Amino acid sequence: MDYIVKGFKDALNLLVSFDKEVFSIVSLSLFVSITATIIGSLISVPLSVYFGIKEFRWKKLFSRITYTMMSIPTVVIGLVVVIILARKGPFGRFDLLYTRKAMIIAQVLLVSPYVFGLTYGLAKSRGEIIEKIGLALGANRLEIIVLIIRELKVDILVNVATSFSRAISEVGAVMIVGGNIKHHTRVITTTISMMNSMGDYPMAIALGIILILISFVIHSIIYSYSEEK
Amino acid sequence: MNIEIRNVEKYYGDNQVLDIDYLNIEKEKITGITGPNGCGKTTLLNIIGGLDKEFLGEVFYDNNKFSKKVKQAMTIVFQKPYLLKRTVYENIEYPLKLRNMNKKESKAKVLDVMKKLEITDLMDKRGNKLSGGESQKVALARALVFNPKLLLLDEPTSNIDPEYIVTMENAITQFNLKNKGTIIIVTHNIQQSERLCHAVINMNRGKIQT
Repeated sequence: MDYIVKGFKDALNLLVSFDKEVFSIVSLSLFVSITATIIGSLISVPLSVYFGIKEFRWKKLFSRITYTMMSIPTVVIGLVVVIILARKGPFGRFDLLYTRKAMIIAQVLLVSPYVFGLTYGLAKSRGEIIEKIGLALGANRLEIIVLIIRELKVDILVNVATSFSRAISEVGAVMIVGGNIKHHTRVITTTISMMNSMGDYPMAIALGIILILISFVIHSIIYSYSEEK
Repeated sequence: MNIEIRNVEKYYGDNQVLDIDYLNIEKEKITGITGPNGCGKTTLLNIIGGLDKEFLGEVFYDNNKFSKKVKQAMTIVFQKPYLLKRTVYENIEYPLKLRNMNKKESKAKVLDVMKKLEITDLMDKRGNKLSGGESQKVALARALVFNPKLLLLDEPTSNIDPEYIVTMENAITQFNLKNKGTIIIVTHNIQQSERLCHAVINMNRGKIQT
C-alpha cells in the first residue's frame, strides 16, 4: 500500500515542480494528437455529411463497413503504417518511420474512421431536414454540406473531442510507428507503458493524471459551449 | 411561373399515393390544394418543389423541366418549419446570401419583410428557440424575402393565432399582387382557400376531384 501512496506523492511533486521531461512528453502528445485530429476531421467531417445525406445503392452495407472501421484495433493501424513506411515499403524512400510525422499519419488513420462514423450517423439521422431546407431555399450541394456542418457544429465538435480522446489515449499505433524514442517520439501513453514495465510508478501516475485532466478539460469546454448554444 | 403536370404517379412500395393525368397551375395566381389527410397534397407539393424526384411522369415550369435555374426561382414553406440555429435576422437573410446579394440591399429587404409580417421584435432571437407560430411567421418571411417566382406553402397558418392569420394572409396576397409570384397553398381550411385563392384544387386518394 505504501508504494502506491509514495507513487502518488512523487507524481504530485513532478507535476507541481513542472518537471521538464514530463512536460516535454505532454507537449509532444498534444502536438501529435491535436494535429492528427485536425487533419482527420477536416477530411472526415465533410465526407461523412456528404455520404450521410446521400441516398445510394448499398448504403446499408456502407454503413456497416463504416461502423466496423471505427473498431479497428490501434495496433493493426500501427502495423499497416509500419508496412507502408518501412524502408522496403511503398513510401520507404521518405524515411518517415520512427518520426513524429509517422505518428501523426497513424493517428490520422485512427481518428478519421471515428470522426467519419460518428458524424455519418449524425448526418443520417438529423441531416435530412436541414438538407430539405437548404434545397427549398436554393442551396447547391456544397452549400448544403456547409449548412449541415454549421447546424450540427456542437454535436460534431463533441465527436471530434471524443476522437481526440481516443487518439491521445491510444498506445498501440504510436508505439509501433514512433518507437518510443526519448525526446523524439516519446508520448504520454508510451511512457506510461514503459514506466510500468520498469516499475517506475511516480512518472506513470503523473502522466496518467495529466491524461485524465486533458480529457476532462476538453470535454468540459465542449459541454459548456453546447450548453450555451 | 406556370406549372404543368403530366401523368404524374407516385408509389410507396406497392401503394399508389398520387395519380394525376393532367394539371395546369396558372402563373401569377394563388392556387389552393385541399383535401383530407393522406390524400397526397404534401406529396404533390414536394414533387412540384423538386424535393421528391422519385415519381413517374413529368412536371414543367414555364414549359421547362426542373433545373438549377428553376430551383433558384422557387421555395417551399413546410408545415413544421425548421429554422436555422442562428438569429431570426440571419435566418431570413440566408436565401439572399445564397444569391450573393450585397449586405446593404439584403438588410433593406430583410427589414422590410420583417415589418410586413410584424416580427421585427423577434430579430435577435435564435431561430431554434421560437414557438411553433413564431417559427411559421419567420419561415414565411424567409421565403418571401427573395421574391420567388413560385411559392409553395404547406399549411402555413396551422400554428398561428387567429388574430394574426389576417396579417399572414395579407402578406401572401400582397406578395402575389406586387411581385406576380405564383403561389400554391395546401390548406385544410376551406374559408382560407376561399379568401386567398383564385382557384382551388380538391384532392382525394391521390387524384384530382373535378
